[in-house]
Amino acid sequence: MLSQRLANIVFVIVVLVACVWFGVIAEGFETSGLLASSGLPSKFFPQLTLGLTGACAIIVGLLYALRGSAGGDSGEMVFEEGAQARRSLLMLVVAIAAYFIWKNFGFIPMAVILGPLSLLAMGVRSIPIYLTVLALTAAVYLVFTRLLGVTLS
Amino acid sequence: MYGNLDALVLALSQLTQPISLALLIGGIVVGLVIGILPGLGPPIAIALALPFTFYLEPVPSMILLLGIYSAAIYGGSISAIAVGIPGTGAAIATVQDGHKMFKSGRGGEALGFSLTGSIIGGLVSALCLALVSPMLAELAIKFGPREYLAISVFGLLVVVRVAGQSLPKGLLAGALGIFLTTWGLDELNGTERYTFGSYHMYEGLPLVPFLVGLFAMSEVLIGAERALQKIDFSKESLSVKLPGLKTLGKMKDVILRSSLIGTIIGIIPGEGAAVGAFFAYSEAKRRSKHPEKFGTGIPEGIVAPETANNATVGGALVPTLTLGVPGSPAAAVLLGALLIQGLSPGPKLFTERPDLMYSIFIGLFVINILMVFIGLVAIRFAARLIMVPTSVIVPTVMLLCFVGIYSVSNSFFNVGVLLAAGILGYVIRKLGYSIAPLSIGFVLGPILENSLRQSLTIADGSVTEFFNTPIGLVIYAMLILTILWRPLMEWFKRAKTN
Repeated sequence: MLSQRLANIVFVIVVLVACVWFGVIAEGFETSGLLASSGLPSKFFPQLTLGLTGACAIIVGLLYALRGSAGGDSGEMVFEEGAQARRSLLMLVVAIAAYFIWKNFGFIPMAVILGPLSLLAMGVRSIPIYLTVLALTAAVYLVFTRLLGVTLS
Repeated sequence: MYGNLDALVLALSQLTQPISLALLIGGIVVGLVIGILPGLGPPIAIALALPFTFYLEPVPSMILLLGIYSAAIYGGSISAIAVGIPGTGAAIATVQDGHKMFKSGRGGEALGFSLTGSIIGGLVSALCLALVSPMLAELAIKFGPREYLAISVFGLLVVVRVAGQSLPKGLLAGALGIFLTTWGLDELNGTERYTFGSYHMYEGLPLVPFLVGLFAMSEVLIGAERALQKIDFSKESLSVKLPGLKTLGKMKDVILRSSLIGTIIGIIPGEGAAVGAFFAYSEAKRRSKHPEKFGTGIPEGIVAPETANNATVGGALVPTLTLGVPGSPAAAVLLGALLIQGLSPGPKLFTERPDLMYSIFIGLFVINILMVFIGLVAIRFAARLIMVPTSVIVPTVMLLCFVGIYSVSNSFFNVGVLLAAGILGYVIRKLGYSIAPLSIGFVLGPILENSLRQSLTIADGSVTEFFNTPIGLVIYAMLILTILWRPLMEWFKRAKTN
């Protein structure tokens, strides 16, 4: 289920593309006025760290491409089984969905949906667990709104 | 420097206020609960409590977080001993002997040894913190940009060296963390950098949502993977049997050595509680007359790692408070709490807020003493906490992260940063990277950039001028020694055997 080698090589490519893209953007950092000639230019440090990130990414990529591992993870998988991958990726979708539900429809719809959706994503079927999570959701809401006086819109 | 009686009196009056006492006890309880729950370690515990500190004064907020920090490290040992699943990374070394003792019917004794070791380690490191940090702060007040540059480079490289098994991966994560701090307005000349036309980005990526996302949200996503795993544990309650003075007397060498190892490892930036615990365990085994008994369920195998991991708390606070360089990922989150309060950690804090420093020192002592009593009660309920399914913890922690971060600034942007940092943390953890260098890089990034640019300006562009400072040279020498220590020792060993 997706080897560390393949996943890391893909990640390295993504990092390298991102480094180039951010490096090009940094070229456009211009300081106007009197401060323009003072000290190092604003693009120096971002490009320095991007260079370091890119160099490390190349080394990691080469290690995976040539040796098959970096740090003793030869032959290891990113996910032990398909169900694991499905649960965490569905959870990720739930988290993103919750953010947009909150932003567009308000806090209470998000809070009510978040718990049951998360449990569904994890494949939980026990009714007491659903009820416990809903009770904890209510407790979190009450602590923040009543005790701390936060307005959760 | 900070030794005035007024500050001490003020600290005591703040610590004895009902709110401080309630938060002190509450912090210990919350820390124990989170420590016992498998998977949620000290950085997550502190990260979840961070938003609450927004509503508190500096002293109560630091007391709350320190209580959580200390108790979470200790709490991890309870599940390590009872079910063989360490609640925190710091308790991994405890599993070997602790769980064996538990299975052989000596669980009460094992829990007693872990509690006693944790308390003693915590007290020794609190004493070291109170003695060392004022001296270090006095020295650090003389630091200029070049010295801060050296300290930041030292902190970052040490973290990279110990985090994970791959040096290039650690460096990549650290560099990525530093790069992300370059987003926002350039502090020196106001140039917009990676703001993407959003005014939210003018101040860069916010520290607290980023750290909470990195630690807590990524843990939520990883926790979802093992949500259906069942814990093989059927006890209704646990009991504890504290060791007598005679038994402790026999182990005084192990206790003292482990306390010092934990404190020193805590002081070294990046070397967290887990490293301290493993180092103390292997040292206790190496010096033992019966090293073969380690791993079979002996008290020394519990006392050594438990004393050391709690001793890292005080140690980690030394560079955090005196230099603003976090000693561990948990200390990085703690540093975020100081920033929320509008305080900048560093030597000036000792002169600007001596009462806060006294409160931290005294508070840490009181926390460790109170942890004996609260720990004794908490162990009785630990069996029920261990049984809490991960499927209940995952959505609750996620909601807490969302609400906590939103409540700090009423900003959806911050919730978005939390989510993005959580995804980043999850991806890199799944790919075998450690999040410690990323988090420390994110904290040290601004210090690194400012000190590098100021140093270059002072040196008129000459890189050799960076080393024209005695303190800086000492720090660089320590860095080289730290990096070369292990290979050199191995080389000496090989030369000796040949």
